[in-house]
Amino acid sequence: MLETDKLTKQFKDVIAVDDVSLVLMRGESVGLLGPNGAGKSTAIAMISTLMKPSSGDVRLNGKSVLKKPDDMRRVLGVVPQKIALYEELSAYENLKFFGRLYGLSGNKLEQRIEYVLELVGLADRKKELVKNYSGGMQRRVNLAAAMMHEPEVLIMDEPTVGIDPQSRNHLLETIRKLNRDEGMTVLYTSHYMEEVEKLCDRVYIMDHGKVIAEGTKEELKAILSDQETVLIEFDQNYPELFIKLSEIEGVQHSTIEEQSLKLIIPRGTRMLAALFHEAERYGAQVINVNVQTPTLEDVFLRLTGRKLRD
Amino acid sequence: MKAVFLLQWRRFYRKPMLVLAMFGLTVIFVSVTAAGGQSGPQMIPVYADESMSELQAQTWLELLNSGDQFQFELMAETEARSYVAEGDVSQAVNLLETDYRLLVGREDPARFALDSFLRRIYSEELRLENAEQTTPGIRGEMESALSDPALSLSVESLQGEEDSFQYNGQLQLLFGMTLFFVIYTIMFSLVRIVDEKRTGTWSRMIISPVRKWQMYLGHLGYSFLIGFSQITLIFLLFRFAFGFELGERFWLLIAIAACYTFSIVAFGLLIISLITKPQQLGAVIPIVATGMAMVGGAFWPIELVTNEILLVVSKALPITYGLQALTSVAVYGNGVQAVAMPLLLLLGFGSICMAIAIRLMEWRSSP
Repeated sequence: MLETDKLTKQFKDVIAVDDVSLVLMRGESVGLLGPNGAGKSTAIAMISTLMKPSSGDVRLNGKSVLKKPDDMRRVLGVVPQKIALYEELSAYENLKFFGRLYGLSGNKLEQRIEYVLELVGLADRKKELVKNYSGGMQRRVNLAAAMMHEPEVLIMDEPTVGIDPQSRNHLLETIRKLNRDEGMTVLYTSHYMEEVEKLCDRVYIMDHGKVIAEGTKEELKAILSDQETVLIEFDQNYPELFIKLSEIEGVQHSTIEEQSLKLIIPRGTRMLAALFHEAERYGAQVINVNVQTPTLEDVFLRLTGRKLRD
Repeated sequence: MKAVFLLQWRRFYRKPMLVLAMFGLTVIFVSVTAAGGQSGPQMIPVYADESMSELQAQTWLELLNSGDQFQFELMAETEARSYVAEGDVSQAVNLLETDYRLLVGREDPARFALDSFLRRIYSEELRLENAEQTTPGIRGEMESALSDPALSLSVESLQGEEDSFQYNGQLQLLFGMTLFFVIYTIMFSLVRIVDEKRTGTWSRMIISPVRKWQMYLGHLGYSFLIGFSQITLIFLLFRFAFGFELGERFWLLIAIAACYTFSIVAFGLLIISLITKPQQLGAVIPIVATGMAMVGGAFWPIELVTNEILLVVSKALPITYGLQALTSVAVYGNGVQAVAMPLLLLLGFGSICMAIAIRLMEWRSSP
């Protein structure tokens, strides 16, 4: 349905997006994962016809949208990272305006406003000014505004940044409902791994402007199928011990987090004896040892050498 | 476009204070200041020194009181000086046999008009006296010829008959303050465009089916209408509620207000395209508005300004042409022909500013 072909954006000497090719099939929920500065927002700006690419193409149903963006704009709903609303107006007034931009009027406009407000759970507070809403409620109106014209494709640029867990869950549930119940195609950008794991069927991983991996969650995790993750929790931080453990034979990658250590090792490696031996030597108390199958976070760590939220 | 335009009115409904404040300030400023001024001709104390006889002084007084702009009153020098010293009047006139001196207590826009009037009366009278020496009886012949002319000639020019400066304090104040305060209303309404770009609602509009020109037109249409309404309402208020004499061509004043508003909307857009941060605009707009009003003649008549540089700068400001056109119609009683040139300049100025501003804004926002 929607695809990008070798999409590139260069700002003077910086290549923000480099040769990115994505495909979104109708009804699919696709995640675009990457740390801050990976080029996700720039890629989205180009896909949504807000920014012209330096090279490459964006196609909707096989037709390029770069020169004639109108078709794309009619079917596309974009939820920006910033809360792009008129805060001195009520949720109802904001939605009325965004509906009118798409030519809605009269009863149809009113019905649509009621529907999206119901969808985001703000029907009973629609007359309140947006500036008086909590951050989470504002995010919900931000989503509702993108839904006014019944878009076929919904692009969301980190829609849950800076909101409370309750609002986040509500927002994620709403998106899941839109995708699964209404068949809406979703491109979901985030640096929160758990959101992408929860919502998306397929994932593109971006770093330094490039797509470094793509596939279903299972396919991506299969990258680390011959490996396992060992998470060891200590009673406190032991910097020298942690370095020593990272150098044990077979350890392919290690991450230190305060008083815990995460090691990626080949599946079947026997290293627990060495681990406890070293811990005893340093007088460290092991609180917990957990051997896990790899997560997308581990995949990202393996591919880029850094964590998503770095 | 309609959606963007209607949105601005909804936002005005939610936050009307700025526009209402500018409207209120204009009304308060003009009504209070005009109430403190004189409604009839301005009284000017006149005194003669010892070189002039009382009869000569009375003759000059009659000549001076032939006009209706000033009311000259003959008195002793000490009394005239006391009037000026105590601030009851701004200036007094010392009559000399072939000349005059102005005793100025404080700067007053009327000084220029007074000086112009005295110069005209003195030069006419002295020329007549010279002519009488060579042709006795010419004064009588002239007076009879004037009362029963053989031929009546009416002259009209495109620029109007503004050779002799006429000062109307009330209208100067009304026009000056109205055109000054409306600059704030218009420019602060245009700041919304910058604000929309900052908050991201502008981007949201771009990725909707609405065209960019429609977005601009929605914003500019609102700014024009809010500014134009402000001027029109103030003119109506002062004409019908305060009884200001605005001449017979009120519709022409409204047409001038429309052209002026257009030029200020365009000029405001240019300023906004040059300075993109709302915080900076908060400081720049008052500087631009006040500077433009000072140089353009909103606070005092441009005729008082003698500095050549300021006069040249004033030629590049829309407020100069707005005031010139309004004064021409309301004070001098001129018609469309007389104000055609300032109106064309306002429209031309506005069109050029708008073209540059939109190109500049688009160039800046294109990544």
